[in-house]
Amino acid sequence: MTPLLSCSSLTMRFGGLTALDSLDLEVDEGEILGLVGPNGSGKTTFFNVVTGIYRPAGGKVVFAGEDVTGMSAQDICRRGIARTFQRSRLCLDLTVLDNIMIGNHKNLNTGFVHNVLRRKAFRADYEAGLERARTLLRALNPLLAGHVHRTVSELNMMDRRRVEVCRALIGSPRLLFLDEPSAGMTHEETRRLMDEVLNMDMGGQPLTMVLIEHEMEVIRRVSTRCAVLNFGRKLCEGDYESVTADPQVREAYLGADL
Amino acid sequence: MPYRSRDLVLPGPAGCILLALCLLGWSVLFLKAEEQSHILVYMISCGMMVLVAALTDLHTGISATIRGNERTWDFCLILVMLALLLIFCDDHYNLFLLGTIMVYAVTVLGLNVQLGCAGVINFSAASFFGIGGYTAALLSGSGLPPLLALPLGGAAAALTGCVLLLPVLRTSGHYAALVTMAFALLFKVFLEVSEWFGGPQGLSVQPLSLFGTDFGKDVHFETLDVSFYVKYDLVCFILLCLVFSFVRRLERSWIGLAMDAVRSDETASACFGINIARWKIVAFTTGNLLAGIAGALYAMMLGYISPANFAFADSLLFLSILLLGGLGNSWGVIPATIFVVVVPEKFQVIQEYRYLIYSALVLFVIVFRPAGLLPRMPRHYFGRSA
Ligand SMILES: Nc1ncnc2c1ncn2[C@@H]1O[C@H](COP(=O)(O)OP(=O)(O)OP(=O)(O)O)[C@@H](O)[C@H]1O
Ligand SMILES: [Mg+2]
Repeated sequence: MTPLLSCSSLTMRFGGLTALDSLDLEVDEGEILGLVGPNGSGKTTFFNVVTGIYRPAGGKVVFAGEDVTGMSAQDICRRGIARTFQRSRLCLDLTVLDNIMIGNHKNLNTGFVHNVLRRKAFRADYEAGLERARTLLRALNPLLAGHVHRTVSELNMMDRRRVEVCRALIGSPRLLFLDEPSAGMTHEETRRLMDEVLNMDMGGQPLTMVLIEHEMEVIRRVSTRCAVLNFGRKLCEGDYESVTADPQVREAYLGADL
Repeated sequence: MPYRSRDLVLPGPAGCILLALCLLGWSVLFLKAEEQSHILVYMISCGMMVLVAALTDLHTGISATIRGNERTWDFCLILVMLALLLIFCDDHYNLFLLGTIMVYAVTVLGLNVQLGCAGVINFSAASFFGIGGYTAALLSGSGLPPLLALPLGGAAAALTGCVLLLPVLRTSGHYAALVTMAFALLFKVFLEVSEWFGGPQGLSVQPLSLFGTDFGKDVHFETLDVSFYVKYDLVCFILLCLVFSFVRRLERSWIGLAMDAVRSDETASACFGINIARWKIVAFTTGNLLAGIAGALYAMMLGYISPANFAFADSLLFLSILLLGGLGNSWGVIPATIFVVVVPEKFQVIQEYRYLIYSALVLFVIVFRPAGLLPRMPRHYFGRSA
């Protein structure tokens, strides 16, 4: 079986700094890959390159059999990769519903006639979207489903993360990137959020996910496979036990509790 | 039950009607007043009323009543406008003032689509307003129906705006602002030296005519003289209502949402498949189109135009109206336009200092109420309950 995402010798440089150094990484359909590594090892940069925010200096990204290297973020999104951001990028003055619907943009009808002239048809469209957003929210936090018309600035950190996850999920992506969902949350909250995501019913479709996480406990519980980055290179990959037993990884993480 | 002043406002349609009557009464008194001291008293009393309403929470009651009965409120506003036209039907001066308010409001609504929705800065709104006006002037005597000047003026402004698209899309922040400023200054210089556009003297514009009525002439009923401005005001009002409802619908649709996303966070927008350039172009062009239409109507109402009508200061005026009213809040545009247009006209004492006063006011708003006097509300696609 060909992998869903396959990156070969992916390289990204910022001036003199090589953030990704000939990285080879593959993600299979249906797996949950835990991506770990010390601070500044290039995890977020990997997401940014694959989702088209940065153009790689070298290497190739193949998604679902198609070469997507150097495509714009917009085109890559349309091919089915969705993500969350390490530092929340919600629009604070927009409502929960608005933020989630932004994630569904590629499926929305933004035609002038539909939106401005035929308000009846738009209303049906809107109500379907509202219901879908509510269903997603309900799976994460039933309470939140009642707050779809609140602005995001009124929500606590955990609910904001949930909204971000919903925003990434509403477009039914084939591949989901979560960048440190635990940032700003307690262990218990992270555990709950991840359980919620895993238990989410994606309409029978298998959820393929890459998860960046410093919280090794989360990685252990959630991931089916792990890859460790260091200085933009892949140190090793494999299941959680073999990766944490690897002497190179222990060295890279020296001091961190593995 | 604790006493709440917001309960003083009647909920339901009756409350709307009462509010509209107050509005009408105050407008008539204010517009009829000629003594500077009376005008001052009306202005101060209005200011006090707004202050008291804001401090005692009365305004939440008022806005709840309006929100709860949007249809009735719209209807009441239309009646207020018609009543004003009837009451002032022979008063050229006040009718022209009303018409000016309405075309300005249309322009600022366009600016609101650009800056308030998509975050595209435009320091040359008056130039696009002027392009509409000059289109109307050039069409004079061409034999085409004068009403055609409105869509053509809008189209000319929108097309000219395309010249600015590339620099506006390529630059951001201060640089985009500078590009549009340069355009505004160049536009005026260009008009002043151009023979074809009448140079500094400008051009005369033929009056509008519709269904065989010439908009340049007064109408006489029995004993009643009806100013020709009434006809213009009616057209302005229809245009304003159409544009207002268009902009409101645009805001409360997936289009408005996409523009909001582009304004708030371009990177995140791109990651969710939003075409940033496309929405900026749509917003910029729509805004210029509205400014052009408004400009064409204004020129016909005025009867002549010259470069002095479309100076950079006027662009700043449009922008300050938007900032005062509240970026992204179409409802805020209306009172802000009324304020900015009417006060210096009625209150002659400050005429000379008006830009000084505006700048002070805008600074005050930016420092103490950065979202404007009536800040943007969270989006509700349909009514309040939906
Ligand atoms: N836009 C940028 N410009 C310059 N340098 C950058 C940029 N983005 C990332 N870097 C650098 O690239 C390296 C990798 O950063 P990256 O954010 O990918 O690390 P990370 O693994 O996500 O770290 P963390 O765990 O702290 O989030 C860092 O040294 C960082 O300073
Ligand atoms: Mg990171």
